[in-house]
Amino acid sequence: MRFIILMMISVFVLMPLSNVEAQKAKTIDELAKQFDSSQCKSCHAEIYAQWEKSHHARPLMGVKGGLMLTPLALKKGTPGSTAFSEDDPKKMKISNFPCFKCHLPQAVMHAEDSVAVELAEALLAKDSAKVGKLQITCIVCHNEKAIIHKRELGAPEKGVIYGKKDIAGHAGGAIKKSAIMKDSVFCGQCHGLGPNLEFDQAFQCANLYGSYLHNYVAGGGTKTCQDCHMAKGDHLIAPNFNDEKQTSELYAKALTLDIETLGYEWLRKAGTLVPKIVVGTKLTSSAGHRIPDG
Amino acid sequence: MVVTAKSTDGKEIGKFERHYHPQATNCRDTKTKYGAQWKTANIRDTSIQPMTPKKETFEFDLPEGVRSADVTIEVVYENVNPDNKYVIHSVTKKVSLDK
Repeated sequence: MRFIILMMISVFVLMPLSNVEAQKAKTIDELAKQFDSSQCKSCHAEIYAQWEKSHHARPLMGVKGGLMLTPLALKKGTPGSTAFSEDDPKKMKISNFPCFKCHLPQAVMHAEDSVAVELAEALLAKDSAKVGKLQITCIVCHNEKAIIHKRELGAPEKGVIYGKKDIAGHAGGAIKKSAIMKDSVFCGQCHGLGPNLEFDQAFQCANLYGSYLHNYVAGGGTKTCQDCHMAKGDHLIAPNFNDEKQTSELYAKALTLDIETLGYEWLRKAGTLVPKIVVGTKLTSSAGHRIPDG
Repeated sequence: MVVTAKSTDGKEIGKFERHYHPQATNCRDTKTKYGAQWKTANIRDTSIQPMTPKKETFEFDLPEGVRSADVTIEVVYENVNPDNKYVIHSVTKKVSLDK
């Protein structure tokens, strides 16, 4: 009898948990498929094209084709390896990639450790095509990161797309309003406050949102990240460091350089004139955050 | 930012550099690191902050007989390493001691 009761408890209590576990991706392809947003392209072609050129579309690739997570995949103790490295890539777990917190947030909750193993092996093999499948897709921002008041509003609903307002009858699925989609704190979830002290090996990452709060807002600034980086809904969210010309122009617009010069002869002591040039520079930033940062 | 003064014949008179960025160590030694996975906390921050213009003054003593110089101010964004540069501003000004 006790056995039957235990079996019934297993069926009714453990089954839902098993189902949740079953939904976790076991491979890079499965994780990429779970968060695939290619269906958005058919109606939002321009936005999708902007996103495809963005760093969100290549969050593990670094700049100009680099594979920025490679040091974590290196064999522990070898040159270039990190405190998160293991002595065998087969031992890698999701927790060995703390960068997932922002560079691949969907992996934290929706991927098995086998994805970490596959990624480590792909990084060591310099398999850019495989690593490149892991992206911060439309669904990541418009679902996974869309709610931060979970105690009041609950977790993001599966299949729901969150935007700036409710939209009924959206072809790609229901659109509900996210309370934070237009606010800087939305971006601040990843473009960060600085040290990540919640990990067992603390590490210092992006300071950008901290700089925004403590320097820009504290100085009277009122614009949001989206006002400047997503004007007219631009999902490139510049800069795109693979585009040198555009990046240079963006920084030139954000940083004004004023120069003053003076040539004169300085009377160091009686009878001794030192010919001298003085150059004064002033760099003024119109950005809402520290430069450089990320 | 690199500020270079050259005489009219192209000979370098002097050069100054300023580096604007947060600098972090792992808090276990005094070496600054590159890459979040190695850094623990900023120990110095020379970044360009909003609402706070960054002012600098550079002085060049001219060699004997030199009465003017071409001063070039170049502001670049270095990404990942110093070889990966994005030029933001490059301005050359002639400065003379003669009126």
